[in-house]
Amino acid sequence: MTTEFDEMKKIWDSQNNEPLYAINEKALHDRILSKKRQAHHITNISELLSIIVNIVAGCFILAMNFPKQSGSLFMYILSAWMFVCAMYLLVGRIRRIKGNDQFDRSLRGDLHHAISMASYQVRLSQLMRWNILPIGTLSLLAVLEGGKSVWIAVGILIFFAIAYYVGGWEHSIYKNKKRELEILQKKLANETI
Amino acid sequence: MTEKEQQQIFEEWLSMHKGLIFKIVRAYAFTAMDRDDLFQEITIQVWRSIPSFKHESAVTTWLYRISLNTSIKWTRKEQKYNQPETLDNAHHLLQENTIQMDEQLVWLYEEIYKLDEIDRSIFLLLLDGFSYKEMANILGITESNIGVKINRIKKQLITKSKRYDY
Repeated sequence: MTTEFDEMKKIWDSQNNEPLYAINEKALHDRILSKKRQAHHITNISELLSIIVNIVAGCFILAMNFPKQSGSLFMYILSAWMFVCAMYLLVGRIRRIKGNDQFDRSLRGDLHHAISMASYQVRLSQLMRWNILPIGTLSLLAVLEGGKSVWIAVGILIFFAIAYYVGGWEHSIYKNKKRELEILQKKLANETI
Repeated sequence: MTEKEQQQIFEEWLSMHKGLIFKIVRAYAFTAMDRDDLFQEITIQVWRSIPSFKHESAVTTWLYRISLNTSIKWTRKEQKYNQPETLDNAHHLLQENTIQMDEQLVWLYEEIYKLDEIDRSIFLLLLDGFSYKEMANILGITESNIGVKINRIKKQLITKSKRYDY
């Protein structure tokens, strides 16, 4: 077996003197620069967006409700809930960023990191999906308490149902991504396959 | 580290070790467009990795690590979003040299390409003379696991080489 492998190695080593390709230096430089300017990773964006949306919505609801003498209790709860969500997301983000340096640069370490990121995305998307339920319920209760038209309540219900459906779709994308990474990790660790 | 220093190191690494990256690109990507795409992905990751290079390993080991990690992940993405090659070749990063590749080398690359992404990385490291310890370090698995995998890959390739009879 060794002799035959040595033959392969000889063939392999024969290519070392002749570069296979020539690099288009200008195109390479341009592409690196354009990638550098690109926005951060999608997790970063969706995380920041969720934090901002929760804070802004919480503030907005509070500002709308506060001046009224008989402000809706449900609106106050909804506003507080949104601030709690923003806080939770912020803590999660800080922990995620701190954890980024805990992985080594081997393939296994890199995979661990990718899986940990994917798990975080799965958890986050699941939580955000379930979060639609309390937010939707509180919004509905506030609308009904305020004696608004039933059609507004129906409209809110449809809106949150769509948001819940889209959230499920997003969640399944992250779940599939995580599953693929786990398959790769198993393949790397398995000594028998 | 300033951006100028990073650029300087990047250019130095690329000029000295481009052969290493080419081999990995050739082993992981089949069409010219894919090679371009993978080469771009690897060079970007190499660029980004420069500030975290702490001289704890040789530059070649570091580059192998970055290139293989990128290639394996790229392969997964590519399998999912595989698109046919288009005629949009105006700004290819890599231009194939006119040197005629040895027939046996072409065969070897084809066989390497048929291995799964993990085995491919192990066999490339083996062909480039890395020790089991270095491979274990790059891939983050045990030396005994490396040994088991190498034995299986060698057996597989040698059986095929007998059929090819080079």
